[in-house]
Amino acid sequence: MSGVWIYADKYEQVFELLTAGRGLADSLGTKLTALVSGDNDTAQDLIARGADEVLLFPPLAEDQPVQDYVPLMADEAREADPDIFLIAASLKGKEMGARIAARLDTALCSECITMNIDDKGKLQMERLMYGGSAIQTVSINSRPQMATIPPRAYEPAQVIDSRQGSVRTLKKPEPSGMKVIDRKGKAQSSGDISAARVIVCAGRGLEKQEDLDLVRELAGVLGAEVACTRPISEEKHWMTEESCIGLSAKEVKPALYLGIGVSGQIQHLVGIREAGIICAVNSDENAPIFESADYGITGDLYKIVPALIEEFKK
Amino acid sequence: MPNIVCCFKWVVDEAYIKPSSSGKIDLEWAEYKLSDYDRNAIEEAVRLQEIYGGGVTAVTVASSDATKGIKDALSRGPEKAYFINDDQFENLEPSQTSAILAQVIADQIDYDVIICGEGSSDMYSQQVGPRLAEKLGIPCIAFVNQLSIEDKQIIAERKTDEGMEVISAPMPVLVTVLPDINNPRVPGLKDTLAASKKPVINIELEDLASEYKRLLIDKGLKAASIERNCTHFGAGPEDIKAFVEAIRKTGVIDRG
Ligand SMILES: Cc1cc2nc3c(=O)[nH]c(=O)nc-3n(C[C@H](O)[C@H](O)[C@H](O)COP(=O)(O)OP(=O)(O)OC[C@H]3O[C@@H](n4cnc5c(N)ncnc54)[C@H](O)[C@@H]3O)c2cc1C
Repeated sequence: MSGVWIYADKYEQVFELLTAGRGLADSLGTKLTALVSGDNDTAQDLIARGADEVLLFPPLAEDQPVQDYVPLMADEAREADPDIFLIAASLKGKEMGARIAARLDTALCSECITMNIDDKGKLQMERLMYGGSAIQTVSINSRPQMATIPPRAYEPAQVIDSRQGSVRTLKKPEPSGMKVIDRKGKAQSSGDISAARVIVCAGRGLEKQEDLDLVRELAGVLGAEVACTRPISEEKHWMTEESCIGLSAKEVKPALYLGIGVSGQIQHLVGIREAGIICAVNSDENAPIFESADYGITGDLYKIVPALIEEFKK
Repeated sequence: MPNIVCCFKWVVDEAYIKPSSSGKIDLEWAEYKLSDYDRNAIEEAVRLQEIYGGGVTAVTVASSDATKGIKDALSRGPEKAYFINDDQFENLEPSQTSAILAQVIADQIDYDVIICGEGSSDMYSQQVGPRLAEKLGIPCIAFVNQLSIEDKQIIAERKTDEGMEVISAPMPVLVTVLPDINNPRVPGLKDTLAASKKPVINIELEDLASEYKRLLIDKGLKAASIERNCTHFGAGPEDIKAFVEAIRKTGVIDRG
């Protein structure tokens, strides 16, 4: 058997994976199957956007986690034996991908950044290693070849009228014994850093949460979005993870990035690799960020930032 | 009282990785460290033990020269360690590491809770925890930032892209933890001395009687250079002016 399979727990990413999967299926001359939870309208939409087949999960019970689909997905994949199985690298997707791969005794390329089909019809994939200081190329010797795909790596697939495809509804997943006893949405963050043209990034050089106002004021003058490093969002919780840049957070491509009290560890820097101009303010002249910056000021941010605000206002 | 197992990896410290002029990765000067988020895994195991009693066992799969890692892990509180080591255990892939861990844990260790870091600092594949859970046939809760035990159930708060979920699951269970779950202790001299007296169970490949096939083919590694030519400025008023002027000249800001 053959085929390319995709699964994402969020619709935006289903559309992105349809683009990725359609490309691979066409170059292999095989069909594209999308796994999704939803109804027949959802299925028809995915077919219009490039799927040849849709496997529909019936809805879960209120207290069932989406991970309860794992045994079913693995069983279906074992039966159909696709060549390739792509899963969106959301937090849930990364866990589900690893568990499905374990059940199928196959390898998985985590957070694959590029995919190509080689002349033998095998997937060649690239991923980051050592916090982003190296890129490894891998292929997989077992079936299916699995990968998780980071968000926004592909454009969402568009609707093409008159596409045809088949739909099959899967059985309800068995409860696993794991129960969701509470859910909370996250606090809305102000702006979207992925689309920002100018970003001012706050790092642990800031002493207290109130000092973020200083960074916000500078951002205001520059018409910039405020972003942060992982310690600011994950340890201090001064900002939401939506604002965090780096390996385990977002990759950004602003025309200008200005880091304030950011040391520039590799895991952060991989997120700004594509920035146009990188600038930094840091009191330590040996801070690694200066090696990856275009313009740097060595000095105390509490003196420099107010001066920058004045100067940029002029 | 829960038997708690924490898994850890001894890794190359990525801060020492510098691309050579040929674009290859040079590991000659590399130092090793206990993978960052495995420190949180060990700390969480010890923290649970302090509340609920029971025991903490640390487990690693590594090449034979990772003995420093065993000592480092034991200095953080676990009372014994399983050192599954072989010279062939270099650069194992997640399917191999998890299969080896599963075999040793299933055969030799009593467990109610297994704690792994969310991902290792070197590969960051984030697969070993979830794969290990599948191999042992136990529930998996990944990306957890709060953990407690109530009535023989584990209660875990985990991060999702949408926000968070609180999950209850029967034990035995596996969790992977995020860095914000705790602040790992920094071992003192006394802890390091105590660590050298703790039992270490050595397990080698020949004790395992199983084959762990490589499925991922490594097609090469290249340096991802992110170096730029930095123009440095000082902190004086003239410097500030020049810095702002330099940025303005690039035309990346709309106003001014
Ligand atoms: C697997 C893994 C994944 C990770 N993923 C990410 C990620 O996605 N994103 C991320 O950001 N990090 C990530 N990290 C963490 C990363 O390694 C760094 O720890 C983090 O980026 C450092 O943040 P920071 O620069 O804010 O803090 P620090 O490293 O503490 O740096 C603070 C800087 O502020 C400077 N400073 C202090 N006072 C002043 C002052 N008054 N004026 C000016 N400068 C001052 C200091 O000189 C220092 O350079 C990850 C780590 C691991 C192991």
